[in-house]
Amino acid sequence: MIRYAAGRVLAGVPVLWVVATLTFALLRFLPGGPFDKEKTLPPEILRNLERRYALDGTLAEQYADYLGRLVRGDLGPSYKYVGRDVSDILADALPVSVELGLLALAIALGGGIALGLAAGTRRDSALDRIVGIATLVGVSAPSFVIGAGLILGVGLELDWLPAGLWEGPRYAILPALTLAALPLAYIAQLTRAQVITVMHQDYVRTARAKGVPEGRVRRHHVLRNALLAVLTYFGPLLAILLTGSFVVEKIYAIPGLGRFFVTAVTNRDYPLVLGVTLVYAALVVAANLAVDLLYAWLDPRIRVGGAER
Amino acid sequence: MTTSRATAALGALVIAGLVGLALAGDRVAGYRFDAQDSAHALESPSRAHWLGTDALGRDQLARLAEGARVSLLIAIGATTLALAIGLGYGLLAGWLGGRVDGAMMRAVDVVYALPDVLVIVLLIEILQATLLGVPDVARRVAALVAALGFVGWIGIARLVRALVLQAREETWVEAARALGLRDRRILLRHVLPNIAGPILVAAAFQIPAAILAESTLSFIGLGIQPPFSSWGTLASDGFEAMRSYPHLIFFPCLAILLALIGFHLLGETLRASLDPRRRA
Amino acid sequence: MVRGGGRAAVLVLCTLCAGVAQSCGRDEMRPAPRELRINLETEPPSLDWSLATDGISIIAIQQLMRGLTRLSRDLRPEPDLAERWSVSADGRTYTFALRPGVVWSDGEPLRAQQFVDSWLRLLAPETAAEYAYFLFPLKNARAFNAGTITDPGAVGVRARDDATLEVELEAPLVYFPALVNFMVTFPQRRELIERYGERWTEPPNLVTLGPFTLEEWRHEYRLVLRANPRYWAGRPALDRITAYMVEEDSTALVLFEQGLLDLVKLPPLEIRRYRERPEYLRQPLLRGYYYGFDLRTPPFDDARVRRAFAHAIDRAEFPPLLQGGEQPWPSWIPPGMPHANPQLGLAFDPERARALLREAGVDPATLAPVRIVFNSDQTHKLVAEKVQAMWREHLGVRVELENREWKVFLKELATNPPPVFRLGWGADFPDPDNFMNLFTSYSENNHTGFANPHYDALVLRAASEVDPATRQSLYDEAQRILCEQDVPIVPLFVTASNFAVARRVHGFVPSPMDLYFFDRVSAE
Repeated sequence: MIRYAAGRVLAGVPVLWVVATLTFALLRFLPGGPFDKEKTLPPEILRNLERRYALDGTLAEQYADYLGRLVRGDLGPSYKYVGRDVSDILADALPVSVELGLLALAIALGGGIALGLAAGTRRDSALDRIVGIATLVGVSAPSFVIGAGLILGVGLELDWLPAGLWEGPRYAILPALTLAALPLAYIAQLTRAQVITVMHQDYVRTARAKGVPEGRVRRHHVLRNALLAVLTYFGPLLAILLTGSFVVEKIYAIPGLGRFFVTAVTNRDYPLVLGVTLVYAALVVAANLAVDLLYAWLDPRIRVGGAER
Repeated sequence: MTTSRATAALGALVIAGLVGLALAGDRVAGYRFDAQDSAHALESPSRAHWLGTDALGRDQLARLAEGARVSLLIAIGATTLALAIGLGYGLLAGWLGGRVDGAMMRAVDVVYALPDVLVIVLLIEILQATLLGVPDVARRVAALVAALGFVGWIGIARLVRALVLQAREETWVEAARALGLRDRRILLRHVLPNIAGPILVAAAFQIPAAILAESTLSFIGLGIQPPFSSWGTLASDGFEAMRSYPHLIFFPCLAILLALIGFHLLGETLRASLDPRRRA
Repeated sequence: MVRGGGRAAVLVLCTLCAGVAQSCGRDEMRPAPRELRINLETEPPSLDWSLATDGISIIAIQQLMRGLTRLSRDLRPEPDLAERWSVSADGRTYTFALRPGVVWSDGEPLRAQQFVDSWLRLLAPETAAEYAYFLFPLKNARAFNAGTITDPGAVGVRARDDATLEVELEAPLVYFPALVNFMVTFPQRRELIERYGERWTEPPNLVTLGPFTLEEWRHEYRLVLRANPRYWAGRPALDRITAYMVEEDSTALVLFEQGLLDLVKLPPLEIRRYRERPEYLRQPLLRGYYYGFDLRTPPFDDARVRRAFAHAIDRAEFPPLLQGGEQPWPSWIPPGMPHANPQLGLAFDPERARALLREAGVDPATLAPVRIVFNSDQTHKLVAEKVQAMWREHLGVRVELENREWKVFLKELATNPPPVFRLGWGADFPDPDNFMNLFTSYSENNHTGFANPHYDALVLRAASEVDPATRQSLYDEAQRILCEQDVPIVPLFVTASNFAVARRVHGFVPSPMDLYFFDRVSAE
């Protein structure tokens, strides 16, 4: 198991390195630097600016410097927020997005699995049909639709929860619900499908025939397989949470990574854009690693024989 | 998911309706989508304007129909692109196997780690700089098609590869090889038709994903620009006014919802009809 | 993890319900007394009052700092940091006596030299301040800013002693005491700026002397200001101001209606609904809204083309569109300002517009699409879409729209102006010179590239002209050049501010100069 884990960790490093190199290349070649066409500045000031944005020296020197800084966690200065470093900006924004994302994840997993289990084990019942329709709507409604509904309904009409800002735990509920809606629906569908499939498989029938109590049947076999299926979906799930956060953070005025990213894009603040990209990439790699490890732990077949993923 | 005849028909009906709307364009409303009429601004749905008007007096039904064109065009274009690239890549990786396959899948991992929005933005920038002389809206549509296709091909490539790998082990493939048939012939004329089912289902589900992605991007302002509209930009405009004029956000959201539900039902129907195990 | 999947789900649901149930009490969302929560709409580009040029930054700066004078309700200069002032017989030398006992938030006393330091910093060429021209009336200021004079001592401002500031002007300027109410003339602490460099405006480095101090600046999210107990006029009635940066107008309005914000600007589409409510507040402003051309980019390098585009705009369409009390105004000096003239400017005349285009040899069919760039805002978007439609309908020209964040928009205007851009201008002091000198060739706030020596001369002369009749004719001639002949800009209308103010807030009275003074505001 350890060997497998170590192998997976090492596999993640080249991915990050490629992403870092790509971002370096793009940063150098995209138009819109910190001072293009600025009024003619005196040479000393120009040289200072170049030094600060690490634009002096040959391309190779710049690249080496860039990688060195990255390893130390220095993502360079922002083009648009004068006097602030990208890492400072991200350090403020990242915890907010992580909180929001984790809450949404918990809601999506908890609610989705519970609903999927309930619907799958009571196939074709009224509950199943209701869940079916609800999840169909859930995967078909973009986050701004859900957000608009929640803001007007729960926020305005009922006045239960705040419709924006990030001032305390209560402020996280509507955004997390909005973010979690689509993944919850999808996980519910997935779980339900898995539950139905597994319930009919031979070894489950065997266990039942042997007289194993229904509850244990469910827990050990059905649930485990359902979780495995959900786990495979984890990569896309993370991606959906990340991109979903752009819309959610925008409409609820939350100072997270997503909001900074969109602003940086429209502002052409490339160091910030690419800093966020790197953070995202690192998160995705780490999440994939966690998933792989979890998968291996849950399903022993994977550990033996490292043929393919 | 119960896929009785009724729901399949419902899905087909919804899609047919939306496609019809897109084909008709703003003619269905009798107004041009960009015709402004200050005297009739911000009206609720009425006989003259079935879905009401916005702040500039533009008829919302006309804008919705025009938006249908843009949204569906982009979604179908992106799906086609994703299918083309994904199919080619997956076939190659799956058939060649071994080291090449390993390398190709590593490359996919790297691409997958990039956030979609970044790819889209970069493609828009690049295309803006290169396709000069083409109207801005065409450039943006092209960029969105390219970008959404680019983020969609990965899933299809992985699926195709897995299917090809599986098929490769089948005895009849070995037999065909033993008989001396050329690889490419086996691949294209025998393997492909066999695995076409799941691939089509995956493609069918790409369409709603693309609609969703495009409307989200346009909503945050990275997609289509005025006076052109997609459902996403209409929803964005509507969101700004939703406190006082909810009709402006209601109809675009309804359109998106119906389109996505319709395509999901279509996908489910396809999947059910192609998978013998599922027929309970 | 493998075991209680169902149980975990139930647990999550229960936590949610508990949270919702708890929120029904809503005590946390009730504001504290003496606390004000406003919406700043977007990130302020800069809190450095030598470098800031925009209305958002001013809102914050105005609560943190004060100047020699302030303006009364009827826009007359009153003593603020200066207790009194006198002017020499020839009108060229002003002497300001500083109020004793004024201290900065770190305890340091106010000194006249701090004004000198600030004004010299504004004028210094290295600072590259866009508002440098604001102090050009000072002796040798222009030359110093251009670099022809390098000795700061030669500039007409000096500290006679710690409590006396002496200013020498190039020519008499009747409105000079009103001029020094504006933020670029606020004093500065040179040693702190040198110590902290670019970060001198970040808390806790920022030291100020106004009614509030900067406690927190969470970028892209909120600013928090705290009452300054050392403020010379006494501690303000508010303890704390939180300025959020909510860009979505509808979200801001919902937050207002939920009681989470106390003051928001109403977007055009909501004004109709709010007009009859007690929370509504409208303030007509000395603020013009114009579209500017970049004279360096074809086809706008030809004055006939500019006039054509101006003639193709029907200003009457804007008031019903925006609903905010906008008044169409074809010339530049706004109504309410002395020497305004409603007869000047180009009227809506599509025939003439098309004729001018033909005359200039421009064929709309082959012309590349014209780009209008504006900063992200519901109002600007509506206006841009309206203008886009008008130019298409009356001229047959294709128009593309682009929007930017405010901060970036300003930067772009300064470094790489787009062919057509939208901008507004609010009075810094209540004199037409403030509006007219904006478009002189030496004004850094002139982004059009317009440089007409005759216009410059007229404006300069009018600034120190004492006889009202002569002044009127000078300004009329200058406005004719600006709005009818050369037309580097097309003035569209003058604006009003439309606010929703929570009932718990008292004493909020914005001035016609669009300045807010929260030291006079209280909240329950």
